[in-house]
Amino acid sequence: MILRFKIFLVAFLALCFIVCASLIITDDTALIDNTDRVFKVLESLGHNGTDHFPDTEIFGVSAKRGRQLVEEGLSTRPGGGKTRKQSKHFVCTSCHNVEKEDPDLRFSDPQARLEYTASKGLPFLQGTSLYGAVNREKFYNGDYYKKYGDLVVPARDNIREAIQLCAVECAQGRRLKPWEIESVLAYLWTIDLKISDLNMDDDQLSFVDRALKNRSLKDSSVALIKSRYLDYSPAHFVTAQESREAAVSVEGNTENGALIYDNSCLHCHENQRYSYFHLDDSKISFKYLKRKEDSYTDHSIYQVTRYGVKSVSGRRSYMPQYPIEKMSDQQLQDLRAYINERAD
Amino acid sequence: MRIIFIAITCLISLQIWGQQKVHQTFKDTRVINSHSVETLPKGHLDFRVGHRFGDFAGEGGGWPTFYGLESASDVLIGFEYGLSDNLMIGISRAKGAGPLKQNVNSLFKYRVMTQQKGRNPFSVAFLGVASYSTMQKCGTPGLLCFFEKSAHRFSYNLQGLIASKINERISLQGSIGWTYRNNVEFQDQNDLPNAGVALKYQFTKVFGIIIDATFTFSEFRENAISPDGSRAYYNPLGIGFEWETGGGHVFQINFTNASGLVETDYIPYTTSSWTDGGFRLGFTISRQFKL
Repeated sequence: MILRFKIFLVAFLALCFIVCASLIITDDTALIDNTDRVFKVLESLGHNGTDHFPDTEIFGVSAKRGRQLVEEGLSTRPGGGKTRKQSKHFVCTSCHNVEKEDPDLRFSDPQARLEYTASKGLPFLQGTSLYGAVNREKFYNGDYYKKYGDLVVPARDNIREAIQLCAVECAQGRRLKPWEIESVLAYLWTIDLKISDLNMDDDQLSFVDRALKNRSLKDSSVALIKSRYLDYSPAHFVTAQESREAAVSVEGNTENGALIYDNSCLHCHENQRYSYFHLDDSKISFKYLKRKEDSYTDHSIYQVTRYGVKSVSGRRSYMPQYPIEKMSDQQLQDLRAYINERAD
Repeated sequence: MRIIFIAITCLISLQIWGQQKVHQTFKDTRVINSHSVETLPKGHLDFRVGHRFGDFAGEGGGWPTFYGLESASDVLIGFEYGLSDNLMIGISRAKGAGPLKQNVNSLFKYRVMTQQKGRNPFSVAFLGVASYSTMQKCGTPGLLCFFEKSAHRFSYNLQGLIASKINERISLQGSIGWTYRNNVEFQDQNDLPNAGVALKYQFTKVFGIIIDATFTFSEFRENAISPDGSRAYYNPLGIGFEWETGGGHVFQINFTNASGLVETDYIPYTTSSWTDGGFRLGFTISRQFKL
């Protein structure tokens, strides 16, 4: 009897040990993955900072149509047939990439962007990439008020207004219909930020992972994630004269200049893709640009980079200027050095 | 026929496979008198105004007409449109310098092959022009304006154009063509074969010189004598300058002995000679709009 009791006791204790051990040993399976969407992780941490979600109740809304609108400027109508072109002059991708263009999303560094986009075969553009646009909270920042005035006020906190402003003023086209706006938003949600885009190290990932599991340190984790990318795109305009004066003290890097010419200038001007002004790799083009460098006309690289070209009646197609965050004075000098080298 | 079909198929295939297309062999769809291999980009509308003044010198020119500036031998207003990057159509109305006046002209041009760097040294295009004279019917049988049938108001021109941008400054073009008029003067022939050459030399990115000449192959034209005993017909020759002023605007100013502006007019009916002062100032304004 005692022996049977001892056997029972040993078995009971073993069972208790197994049960307790299973409660004590933590689950090493990580809840966070590099492919996770940033907004989903933030949502899991209790942060609901965006109202950018598309209204899919509107008839015809689809990410596919949104992508067509962004890349081709037109789409299929919900009722059949094709829409009218949103703009005769531009599509969204004339000025915006739709892929990640900054290696470190915490900074808006034009040189890092130039090298990164070149390595990815992307153009180097005036506009901020639409990749991760839905993760941003502010639009038409900084000096864009100087360009568009009060038009930017409703657009600064509202992505729908920002898209509409871009359609009408930046692209010089028609207003987007509600289903088109929502479709563009639906598409933008397919190119939102992923955890892998934030370049977080293992410790940071573990920190967020613990927060997701334990439901603690959530605010710190949200702050950590949000510190890994800019939720706005800074934009500051400088004058052509400031860039000319800055150029005096720096030496141009022709290799860098070649990247800018190929990935920026030729993106719009080669074969008159978006511009009536044709540029190519010929000496005659470089000679012309060199001759105009110190002039105060639209064909001076300083004037046109810093002021762009105005859209006027009869010639709505225009060139937007580069904020200092999109092309630095050093890069402008690099471009000049490259033009001069090719012209001589 | 089969060979032509295969050749055209090959040309189109080359165009489809090509990547590094050579841009702006000529800046405009015209050189001076003749068409270039260029076509309008898809969706572009080109509004054109062409003008040919009177004779600069000779009997019809000089001081009395302020070197031809006080008379207009031909004026054209037209619209052209790019249906695709390689196919364009157009309609215009010209005063007309030959015996057929007040012409409504239509055209199509299809570029079947585009020059590509390192692959294909030529661009090839085909042009078709049809003109219909809307001038008032005259009462003298034997004159072209008698218009016994309304079909007599029509004339046509078909051309094949081949061009090459030899380098960033020099472009050359050759053409062969056939002009057909439904009604012609006594002893003239309805068919009129012709060939042409054109040259562009670009001094700077925006400024260049252009030359073109068209040669007709007609025994009648070689032998025809005008009432004053001089030769009646000449081959059109033009020399001009062009500026690209930006914003889709190309301005041409030229001198040519051709009075007319359209192929069906200047090819069969150029009756002025450079050596006799029978050349005139002309210009073309071309303004493109994206539709």
